[in-house]
Amino acid sequence: MVILREGICPGINEEFIKALQSEDIKTVEDFVSCNPEELAQKCSLSYKALVAVRRVLLTQYTAFPVSGADLYEELLSSTAILSTGNPSLDKLLDSGLYTGEITELTGSPGSGKTQVCFSVAVNISHELKKTVLYIDTKGSMCANRLLQMLQTKTPNMEEQMEALQKIKVFRVFDVFSLLACLQHLRSNGLQKASVGGGSVKALMVDSVSAVLSSLLGGKQNEGMSLLMQVAGELKMIAKDFNITVLVTNHVTRDGNGHLKAGLGQSWSHVPRTRLLLQRVEDAETSSLRTATLTKSSRQVCHLVEEFDLCHWSEERRTSISGKRKLEERSKP
Amino acid sequence: MHRTVPSLPLAPSVKVKLINAGFQVASDLTDMRPLQLCKEAGISQEEAVEVLQMLRDDGQPHQQRAATESLTALDLLHQEQALGSIVTFCSALDDTLGGGVSMGKTTEICGAPGVGKTQLCMQLAVDVQIPVCFGGLGGKALYIDTEGSFLVQRVADMAEAVVQHCTLLAEDTEQKQALEELTVEKILSNLFLVRCHDYVELLAEVYLLPDFLSKHPEVRLIVIDSIAFPFRHDFEDLSQRTRLLNGLAQQLIQLATQHSIAVVLTNQMTTRVSNGQSKLVPALGESWGHAATQRLILRWEGLRRLASLYKSPSQMEATVQYQITVQGFRDASDEHRPTPDTSAVSSQLGNHSKRPRTEDLS
Repeated sequence: MVILREGICPGINEEFIKALQSEDIKTVEDFVSCNPEELAQKCSLSYKALVAVRRVLLTQYTAFPVSGADLYEELLSSTAILSTGNPSLDKLLDSGLYTGEITELTGSPGSGKTQVCFSVAVNISHELKKTVLYIDTKGSMCANRLLQMLQTKTPNMEEQMEALQKIKVFRVFDVFSLLACLQHLRSNGLQKASVGGGSVKALMVDSVSAVLSSLLGGKQNEGMSLLMQVAGELKMIAKDFNITVLVTNHVTRDGNGHLKAGLGQSWSHVPRTRLLLQRVEDAETSSLRTATLTKSSRQVCHLVEEFDLCHWSEERRTSISGKRKLEERSKP
Repeated sequence: MHRTVPSLPLAPSVKVKLINAGFQVASDLTDMRPLQLCKEAGISQEEAVEVLQMLRDDGQPHQQRAATESLTALDLLHQEQALGSIVTFCSALDDTLGGGVSMGKTTEICGAPGVGKTQLCMQLAVDVQIPVCFGGLGGKALYIDTEGSFLVQRVADMAEAVVQHCTLLAEDTEQKQALEELTVEKILSNLFLVRCHDYVELLAEVYLLPDFLSKHPEVRLIVIDSIAFPFRHDFEDLSQRTRLLNGLAQQLIQLATQHSIAVVLTNQMTTRVSNGQSKLVPALGESWGHAATQRLILRWEGLRRLASLYKSPSQMEATVQYQITVQGFRDASDEHRPTPDTSAVSSQLGNHSKRPRTEDLS
């Protein structure tokens, strides 16, 4: 909805706007949906002027349709796939995290969501040498842990420091600060971040449910709107800047005691791919986890892979159920 | 500013009116005068003034910086290395936690009744006051008691033991000087105690904490013992409870991060029945489990007390044994059987233990 103000197109001046406002026409939409003949009779404005202004406004504000083939070409040339560094997870995610999409990790407390985010961030900043933006809403960002992970990858101090400098951390604790942060990133923050550090390729939000879950339900009427705004910002950032967005979410138990991802049905449509992380019961090493693919547009769902949080880059033994032969795809 | 109007922290009714008047972005509003805004959007004069005030504050450098400033992980590493941690006097537990209870994070301690949660909290409230030259933090503590289980005599015992411990350690003149000021009275006077009787008082107290912390910047530890008690009895609407708890958790982690303090919460246990088996799990529900940054579960195994680190962003899971002695929270001794003078609190000081007085020491 764009307000009619003087100067948005030649021919609109103060009296023009006053005359229109007397007919209760305040925005561009109201103006173009009116019949110019009737309008010319009701206000004392010339028919020609109205038609000319209408034409200019229509050309200025209509959206352009794009053909599917062009869209496909653009997608092929701009999408990149970022490996997570762990072969089992890459298998589940169809070779890695796709840019332009939102991927979600859910799991019970202590199931390893934050550790997976750390491992992916370290992999992207060290192996792929790209900048990672990390939005921390729970105070769980621990730079010491990142350093520990980097030390297992390389003994060179300089490389470790360089990789640490490519991970930028934002600490926000409520939904309005999160929205301010995301909007700032969208407007000029991302360009600033990519100067002198390599381009930004990943944005992580840990966790999105910490700021949103207290607003949903009960007599509150704003929760849904804020949830959808956050979703919109994340999607726009992913698409416009070709980065991959990784979010974490909590789990709740439904009526039968089964685990389901938090934030409800509305949020479940936002991420493109969802993984559920769980501990392995009675395992000899306590760092084993299983990842189950619960939503994906590329793979068969309910594939399960096991991996070890301590040995991120090593191949784990055979997956538990449902292996599908990956077809050879031509990557961009 | 590139903020959209729906994302501003204003009342929903005001936002609806602003959007209907056609304002989309915050920059549309910044040049308006209150009367003009009043007429165009149809909101009252006070609301218009409030909106413009909020936008002006938002545009201030320090406010903007909070949401848009980023630290690189390298800066964060330097910051973390400068922060200390609060020792628990149980060296095995300190090793598991990476030096002690970490600053700038919320730690949750869950356990069955009588296992030592309040003892650990009181020990931490004393330990945070250990002077900097002895390796401590030299800060004050705020203890929010909701159960009424805080006992001053017990804290005095622990304080006495800490003073004695420091006396044995003092070597150079700086430490001896600090030791002169470290007395039981001083330790007790640096401990602020608040008693909350129900959840409303607790929420109000947490709401007032930012003011309190700006008036007392030396406070380095906040203990809430326990957070489960006011929320578990007398609460009809469970979904409201979850929402309140999540909001509370976010406020606490914001305080912990902004003021670099440690926040310790105590939780109770409940039984979950699944597949015909029952097991003890922390109370307050599944989503509360995500609220605290670190989670420590204390439990019994026969006559031994074990502490397990269940959730932490930087430390590996581990289980260690500890014991409660006259001096407070300590490492477990190597003997199998708890002997009378090292286990449950000695009877001269009164019945401070929740365990039955007559123990079977066979």
